[in-house]
Amino acid sequence: MWLKLKLLVLKRLRLRESWVIFFILGMIMMNYPFITIFNKPLKAYNIPLLFIYLQIGWLVSIFVIYLYTKAIELPEDKDDGGEDH
Amino acid sequence: MILSIELVVGAALLYVLLLVMVAFYADRRRAEGRSVTSNPYIYVLSIAIYLTTWTYYGSVGRAATTGLDFSLIYLGPTLTAFSWWFLLRKIIRISKENNITSIADFISSRYGKSQWLGALITFITIVGIMPYIALQLKAVSSTFDIICGYPYIQLPFMHGNYPFSIHTSFFAAFFFSIFGVIFGARRLSSSERHEGLVAAIAVESILKLVAFICVGIYVTYGLFDGFGDIFSRLAAKGETLGHLTTFGEAGETSYSNWFSMICLSMGAIILLPRQFHIMVIENSNEEHIKKAMWMFPAYMFLINMFVMPIALGGILYTGDVLGADYFVLTLPLKSGHSWLALLAFLGGFSAAAGMVMVESVAISTMFLNHLLMPIVVRFRPKAWFPMMLINLKRLGIFLVVFLGYTYQQIVGETYMLVNIGLISFAAVIQFAPALIGGLYWRRGNKSGAITGIILGFSVWFYTLLLPSLVKSGWWQSRILEDGPFGIGILKPTELFGLSGIDIWTNALFWSLLLNIGGYLACSIILPQHELEKEQVRKFVDVFALDRKDSPWEVKRFSKPVTIMQFVNLMTKFIGEHQAHTSISDYMGDREIDEKGGVSEFELPNLKRFVEKTLAGSVGAAAAGAIVESYLSDVGSKMESVYDIYSKVRADLNESSENLFVRLRASEIMNRTLDLQIIMDDLLDLVRREFKFDLVIIRLISDQNMLVVKSYRGEHMPGIIDRNATPEINTYLGDAFLGNRSSFLNDTENNSKPESREMLAREGIKSFAHIPIAREGEAPLGVLSVFSRTIIGQFTPPFLNLLASLAGQLAQAIRIDAEIRAKDKERLEKELAQLENARVLRDMEIAKQIQLSLLPDNPPDIPGVQFACRCIPAAHVGGDYYDFFPKKRSVDIVIADVSGHSVGAALIMAETRAVLRAEVRSKNSPQDILTALNDLLHDDLDRAELFITMFYVTYETATRRLSYANAGHNQPLLFRQGKSSCLELDAEGLILGIHRKVEFEEKEIQLAQGDILLLYTDGITEAQNDAGELYGMGRLCNLLEEIHVETAEKILEGVLRDVARYAKSITLQDDISIVVVKML
Repeated sequence: MWLKLKLLVLKRLRLRESWVIFFILGMIMMNYPFITIFNKPLKAYNIPLLFIYLQIGWLVSIFVIYLYTKAIELPEDKDDGGEDH
Repeated sequence: MILSIELVVGAALLYVLLLVMVAFYADRRRAEGRSVTSNPYIYVLSIAIYLTTWTYYGSVGRAATTGLDFSLIYLGPTLTAFSWWFLLRKIIRISKENNITSIADFISSRYGKSQWLGALITFITIVGIMPYIALQLKAVSSTFDIICGYPYIQLPFMHGNYPFSIHTSFFAAFFFSIFGVIFGARRLSSSERHEGLVAAIAVESILKLVAFICVGIYVTYGLFDGFGDIFSRLAAKGETLGHLTTFGEAGETSYSNWFSMICLSMGAIILLPRQFHIMVIENSNEEHIKKAMWMFPAYMFLINMFVMPIALGGILYTGDVLGADYFVLTLPLKSGHSWLALLAFLGGFSAAAGMVMVESVAISTMFLNHLLMPIVVRFRPKAWFPMMLINLKRLGIFLVVFLGYTYQQIVGETYMLVNIGLISFAAVIQFAPALIGGLYWRRGNKSGAITGIILGFSVWFYTLLLPSLVKSGWWQSRILEDGPFGIGILKPTELFGLSGIDIWTNALFWSLLLNIGGYLACSIILPQHELEKEQVRKFVDVFALDRKDSPWEVKRFSKPVTIMQFVNLMTKFIGEHQAHTSISDYMGDREIDEKGGVSEFELPNLKRFVEKTLAGSVGAAAAGAIVESYLSDVGSKMESVYDIYSKVRADLNESSENLFVRLRASEIMNRTLDLQIIMDDLLDLVRREFKFDLVIIRLISDQNMLVVKSYRGEHMPGIIDRNATPEINTYLGDAFLGNRSSFLNDTENNSKPESREMLAREGIKSFAHIPIAREGEAPLGVLSVFSRTIIGQFTPPFLNLLASLAGQLAQAIRIDAEIRAKDKERLEKELAQLENARVLRDMEIAKQIQLSLLPDNPPDIPGVQFACRCIPAAHVGGDYYDFFPKKRSVDIVIADVSGHSVGAALIMAETRAVLRAEVRSKNSPQDILTALNDLLHDDLDRAELFITMFYVTYETATRRLSYANAGHNQPLLFRQGKSSCLELDAEGLILGIHRKVEFEEKEIQLAQGDILLLYTDGITEAQNDAGELYGMGRLCNLLEEIHVETAEKILEGVLRDVARYAKSITLQDDISIVVVKML
């Protein structure tokens, strides 16, 4: 089940659209107005919210890119609809 | 606490020694073919050169003053990492295939190898990066001062009149330049990888990461109690944490500034010359990108994780934000951890050294290739050029570093580190539109790129560099407050009245707006040059390019250049050894003709290869210029292939014009079967469509001569009247015997003196001979085309088209030949049939005549009953019998001329004539045969024929029978009352053997009832199925059975019995039979 899901996710990531979407998503999440959600003088565990947000967001980005590189390495598959890299 | 100068300098020197060793080790391994740097991890570490002292020290400084926005410089590149597999990989692929040496080379190559563009980018880079290098030098000297406690206190004798800090950064600049030369400029070729340099960078990246994390852990968990502790203490201390952990106020921390920073850093990660150099030029394998995509962001995350704690910790520890730039160093130092401080210093030193080395190497390459080479190529190449070029490149490294040094001395301490770095970022981002547009937008052209970059650079200079100079106090002016000449709307930091935003956003917005606008506008309005179009294909379609499908050459050399000439040219720029190595790699298994040259169609490829090889050392633009100027020196140039169809075509293979000509040719072939008309019409078509002055068809004759069968165009006697045996040393003969197109695109290059003279006399500029042959068959002739005006029209596709027309013609010739052969065969058959019919008719006539020569009815003589019959086997035969009634006797003769031909029949007729004459004068059979032999001997001898004859004289009164025999079958005499037959025989030779022959004459008395049977061998030699002969015995028995019958009945009985015996077998021989019955 997990394996199937992973494969499905990786296959979608192969598409050129995927990285464009992630890129735009990243730009949105790091800029006004989205970032105002976290741009508040609040703290969690004594650590400022925005600091946590950026650090976690950074790690998530790295992980997504990691998945993405795994997706590139997947063997060619017809299910891709031909619109791969 | 401070460290002693000896310790710091000693540690730094030891560290440098380590780097040198690592670099040499890597270079040696490379030479052995076992690269240590060619793996994704080293690639990631080398990309980390992005993090310089600006990160190492400056991030903390920025974090302490403006807060979290420091991380944007690294979040931007993290975002772009998504695109690397497409964007970076494409750039790398293009660079490898075109031997690109730098970002200036890359962009200028894309826009038609423009020297102007390359020079412009180089200039901008030098101006734009200068502050950045200055920053590194400043960081090294400042940290050195800090760690040694301002050394001029320690070493006053070195101080002299100048602050020692000048010396520190001077020494740093000097050492960095030396490193740059050692690692990056040992050889001229810049497209080659510098493994030593990369290995050193990788070690430095490890050190700076380790050092920074060590300091981070020490500050966070040593001085304080973790992240939470630092944040809460700061809050407790009453510091306004808000502005550091949030943003959104006007100015430096506004939302727009936030966005601008992300954009700047996204561009910088690939556009900075050192980044381009490391990520593209030093990349050894595209696969490495995959690991780098996530590992490089991870590296940045790690090194930035402790920036905030160090910054805030520093504020808490020192109670001030002053000197926040150097918290990494000062915190361990102040807390008494000298070794950690030394490690931190070395980490910062690493960050500076790596950046300065690679940046200076990358920029010096651009400096040499795009600023110096355009001048160098104007001179005639000399043998010492390679030496001069490499030294110029080394000089360039010093120049770049010391320009930075000079900037540092002038501008110095004004801005904090981060700001200086951002100026450089904003400079290089001006290349982004031209680079990205060049990769994906076909229409983007040179004018657009130059316009955009100039506009962008001007705005950058005015809105960023100028204010930095003013703020540093280097230039006293009120321009920042009042605008130039008091025009407020032109204030650099609020250009065109765009107020309320920070200077970065102001600069970025206006520079990119004008840059992109200029690029798009000029690209759309102005056209692309030919060379640009070619380059566009190489860049935009780099993944789609398949060498097999590459379109045919549309350029040709006006004068062929030999391989050696090219090698000599390359030697003058890259040295003899490298020139020879690369050319032998290239030639490989390529075909070389007898003169050591390559084929005309291969030459442009060779030229491209030479350009590419030179480009690896001097950049594409200069390489192009070098080759062009060399070609013009040797009197050759690249010309456009003559366009047969009057329009530019990328691929001629199946153009509509091509199809049209083929179609018309097919129509001509199908319209008629008359070969002459086909040839004439085809020549008309070829001449009309391709504007030839003369077109000829020659076909091979039975005498193995190439004979002109048809021609169209002007009568040129020297060419048309040439019917020659094909010889291999002529172009014509070569085409025919070699069964390949033989052509000359420019008769100036004719190496065959004989034809040269003749062609010159007729004013022919180019010609081609195409063998007329079907696929896989020997040629039947040659199609020749001549032009007096057009040079260089014979391209492979055009020759293919002509060959295809010639092939169609060959088909028509074959069909014509087949039709002719069939006609001839039919005619021969008809003639034979006619002849046969004529012969048959003649034979029939002959037969009638012959039969008429035989007596119709036997004579009617009392006491004797005759019966006679002749059945010829063929239409005419050689059998003969006759009766000559006399007064008291009757002569009977039977004869057989050998053979069944007309000749035999004629001889028989002659014999009859002679015999009839002789019978009158001679009485005895013996005399008659003797005379006959004598008379006929000559004729028989000549005709190689002979006659057997039996001659009988029967005296009616006495019933005596006298007879003589000339070799004929013995007649049978059946005597009444006797049971057996008597064979009548007499000595005598066949007529026609000898002239003098004695014939014996015998006599016998006949009685009533006797039957004499004279016959020819057709009866006794008749065969049955078993091949047995009829024989005389059988005949004799038959006579005995039927002797009572009348002569006629006996005759018919014999014939019937013989026919029954022979059954189905057709008559082998003539049958003649004479029956004489005594009544």
